Amino acid sequence: MKPSARDWGLVLPAQALLTVLLFVPSLYVFWLSLTKSTYGQSPVWVGLANYTAVLSDPYFWTATLNTAIVVNAVVFGEFLLALAVAMLFAGWIPWRRVMIAVVLAPYAISEVVAVVIFKYMSEPYAGPVTLALKAIGLPTLDWAVEPSHGLAMVVLLSIWHHLPFTFILLYTALLGIPRELYEAAQVDGAGAWHKFRHITVPLLVPAMLVALVFRYIFAFRIFSEVWLLTGGGPARTTEVLAVYLYRQAFRYSDFGAAAATGWLMLIASLLMGSWYIWQMYRRMFAHGRR
Amino acid sequence: MAAGRRPVTVRRLRRWLVNALRMLALVAVLVWSGFPILLVVFSSLRPPRDIFGGGGSLLSLTTRNYTNLWERWPDFFHNLVNSLVIALSATALTLVVSFLAGYVYSRRDSRALTASAFFMILVRLLPPIVITLPLFPAVNWLMLNDTRTVLVILYCAFFVSLGTWIMKAFIDQLPRELEEAAAIDGAGLWQTLRLVVLPLSYAGMIATSVFIMVFAWNDFLFAFIFTAVDAKTAPLVISEMVGAIDGVDWGILFAAATLQLVPILVFVILVQKYLIAGLTAGTVKG
Repeated sequence: MKPSARDWGLVLPAQALLTVLLFVPSLYVFWLSLTKSTYGQSPVWVGLANYTAVLSDPYFWTATLNTAIVVNAVVFGEFLLALAVAMLFAGWIPWRRVMIAVVLAPYAISEVVAVVIFKYMSEPYAGPVTLALKAIGLPTLDWAVEPSHGLAMVVLLSIWHHLPFTFILLYTALLGIPRELYEAAQVDGAGAWHKFRHITVPLLVPAMLVALVFRYIFAFRIFSEVWLLTGGGPARTTEVLAVYLYRQAFRYSDFGAAAATGWLMLIASLLMGSWYIWQMYRRMFAHGRR
Repeated sequence: MAAGRRPVTVRRLRRWLVNALRMLALVAVLVWSGFPILLVVFSSLRPPRDIFGGGGSLLSLTTRNYTNLWERWPDFFHNLVNSLVIALSATALTLVVSFLAGYVYSRRDSRALTASAFFMILVRLLPPIVITLPLFPAVNWLMLNDTRTVLVILYCAFFVSLGTWIMKAFIDQLPRELEEAAAIDGAGLWQTLRLVVLPLSYAGMIATSVFIMVFAWNDFLFAFIFTAVDAKTAPLVISEMVGAIDGVDWGILFAAATLQLVPILVFVILVQKYLIAGLTAGTVKG
């Protein structure tokens, strides 16, 4: 059925919110990125100067590299862990509902509290994890001093925090695989690895791709974890792009450079989501023609 | 016979070993996910001097940290109320807007409508920090800075697309015959929505509300940028406790963190089923 004018009226509030608060501002950011402006000063057109300034700023490249490392480590680490947990849960598990509730629990925790927990556990002198690592003679995380340790903490924290999301997507997809396929393979004498490789993986690919794309897009936004854990320090060595942008805008009041960073981030997000966007486009418009 | 028995024993041993390893893995998963959270709640009940170093009996529990929190950060309870009001308002607003849009996207069909739905998905990919940049001066100009309203509207804007998507997926599953019967009985669109569709959409409503509720209750970024004094939310104040100049008081911090995390954790556990259904509806279904 074709939508009537009144139907469009029902869609209007949602579309208006998105347009006014997200779409128009993102276009405005593009315009800002071509101007020079700060508080109480009207923007002056500078062309691509902000982009060249940002792209020649070594801190921008540090932030880019850190973001690339953190995002890839988080997404793939989390993916493998979630896949393992989902496989474990697809088999027999005692008190299934309770167990799933425990695995989901980190989803309910705020970034701030997650940072509190991780800071406490790895406190350099008396944190429980530090003490445990020392007790078995392993090196501890010097996250406040050593940039790579700081980033490792961010990665661990993010994986802990977002495991529920990836777990659910993979777990529900695993449950959707018909049992008969495994039974048939069993009859044919297939081993566990063979079944995983030739039944589980191929049938799980769509869910895997959705999980990966979504996590790429969301992990790319990472701000609070880094800001609260290391603040980008020491000496701006652990900044990620969102922290770099924040500092440009709200600390140095250089809105042009911040906007240029913002647009580069926006384009990167759309590129990372392009597979998903294409899939949705095909499915939606195919449906429209039916 | 003896030769035939051995493989059976080996197989049995192997199965026992596999099961033992699986249970071990399960315990590891539970510790990984659950231990850090339990640690916060448990530490908040321990005497302040015992939190580090593990001195004192594990059973000597106290509410000292909570009374300290009350005395030293009396505003924290006001901030918790802020968080609650903001989370509930944002959820209510998102539900109304998403329900109306989700219904139309489920039941009507045209190229223009599909294009507008596609626009919704596209906008969802924009990183929030980028949007704060132009919104900051706009919010100041509207004098909405440091108000609950600005957070409610922003949270709603960021979740209306997911909400619409989840509502559409759930309404897709409802039989159209009920609406057709209502139309034959002379019910208008509003009546049909209110009396037929709405009562049947509660599962989608709960699924939608989990996401927006968790996000609004826990958000740091927007609260950090758009609030200063009055509208500060609980996570923001907890972040200030971590960064306190006179050193971190872990007891108070754990008490505050416990008060912040327990309500939303209970909520998530209660609606676990809807969370799982909503997540697959919001990402996978087209």
